[in-house]
Amino acid sequence: MISINQVTKAYRGAPRAALENVSLEIDKGEFVFLVGTSGSGKSSLMRMILREDMPTSGSIHVLGENLVGIPSRRVPHFRRNLGVVFQDFRLLPNKTAAQNVAFSLEVIGKSAGFIAEAVPDVLRLVGLEEKANSLPSELSGGEQQRIALARAIVNKPAILLADEPTGNLDPATSEGIMALLERINLSGTTIVMATHDRGIVDRGRRRVVELSQGRIIRDERSSGYGLDQ
Amino acid sequence: MRLSFVFSEMGIAIRRNLSMIISVVLVTFISLTFVGTAGLLQQQIGSMKTYWYDKAQVAIYLCTKTSPKEICPQGEASKDVQSTISQRLEASTLSPYIDKYYFENHQQAFETFQTEFKDNSVAKYVTPAQLNETFWVNLKDPNQAPIIIESFNGLAGVEEVKDQRTYLDQIFSMLNIASLAALSIAGLMLFSAALLISTTIRLSAVMRRREIGIMRLVGASNFYIQLPFILEGVVAGVIGSLLSGAAIIGIVQFFVQGFLATQLPFTTFVGLTDALALLPGLVAVGAGLAAIAAATSIRRYLRV
Repeated sequence: MISINQVTKAYRGAPRAALENVSLEIDKGEFVFLVGTSGSGKSSLMRMILREDMPTSGSIHVLGENLVGIPSRRVPHFRRNLGVVFQDFRLLPNKTAAQNVAFSLEVIGKSAGFIAEAVPDVLRLVGLEEKANSLPSELSGGEQQRIALARAIVNKPAILLADEPTGNLDPATSEGIMALLERINLSGTTIVMATHDRGIVDRGRRRVVELSQGRIIRDERSSGYGLDQ
Repeated sequence: MRLSFVFSEMGIAIRRNLSMIISVVLVTFISLTFVGTAGLLQQQIGSMKTYWYDKAQVAIYLCTKTSPKEICPQGEASKDVQSTISQRLEASTLSPYIDKYYFENHQQAFETFQTEFKDNSVAKYVTPAQLNETFWVNLKDPNQAPIIIESFNGLAGVEEVKDQRTYLDQIFSMLNIASLAALSIAGLMLFSAALLISTTIRLSAVMRRREIGIMRLVGASNFYIQLPFILEGVVAGVIGSLLSGAAIIGIVQFFVQGFLATQLPFTTFVGLTDALALLPGLVAVGAGLAAIAAATSIRRYLRV
């Protein structure tokens, strides 16, 4: 599903490479935590999987696409199979919750009929059907992240990338988001989640990939946040 | 492809960016008005050329008593000179080129002069003897004037052979310079319009960078992302070009037809049909320029 082979990424002018000789295989249906300090290369790796950035050397295959060789006009279609959520939610402030979700379907040309069915369905899934007409400013942080999640999964992506999705949320709200992510994972979606949240990783007992200074220093099944745990 | 969505996005962009859009409309409007004016001037030159060139004659001026001695040493041209010229004009070598010709004697020249200069004080001092007796020659093809000029120039008793088109050419070259000037101003202004459009579109893209970021993440095609911005530029360009079309029609209707044509009744002027014929071209230039400027600008901003 995701196959990263000896990837090195060096940014011009940076003293050391952001990623150095990273190899990683993620199978369909897996839930993987990416952990590591800031600057360890988690975000660079996520950007590579999204084809927002290209490796300096090495190869990346995602969903059967060779991301090094893919022509840029095919990139949009490739991205339709991926969902993404961020720490800062990235909702459009002037659109309601439902409009934010609908927007992501409108811009890939889905029909009005499809949107009218899919949006209420996904809002129900994230438990926010009664907030459909609220603006993001009227929602709590947790609710905003649920809307962002709804937007990421409304097109039924095969892979969901979550870049510190609980980074701005209190522990109780974070648990709610994690429960939602686990449900999404149970329905077959592969999830790669970068996080700093020790508690969440420890309770999850999932596969943990730890990055440090651009290298993978640990890759364990059913693990916790750090070796000291 | 959902057009309603594209158009609503474009509408939002235009509302947010209204003052810049208005400036694009105005600059396009003014520059295309210059383009249209240059076009009208060219049409005017064309119609005047066909009208006046047909009427232009070659004049063979005969010597008078007052002609300069170095050209006319014999003084006043004799009757023999007149008959020599008539014979040559009738002869088979020249007659195929000539449509018609007539002779104007001192008295006729004086009468013409008195009517043409009736408000001018010079009319009081001129005597018939001072005015050249003249053969007025209309050619079948006015371009063949040099044949007549060569045949009669230097002939004893002929003071000068003059193609009237040389006077017209001076007027036409002035009009040509005016239309070239209008075109170069138009060129400069169109260039600044293109720069303004590309700045406006980039500004619009910056204002909507959240939307663009999300569109890229969820996999909207580049064309779909770019289309609202390109349309935003095109709408401004088309409005500007329609305004310039209205200005051109106004100029023709009220200035050319309403003022010039009544002041100079014997001249043909460009009319509404000429102005309307320019309109599609103006809209095409306005829309095309805006589309190219907007597309180039948004593409550079939105590299995948």
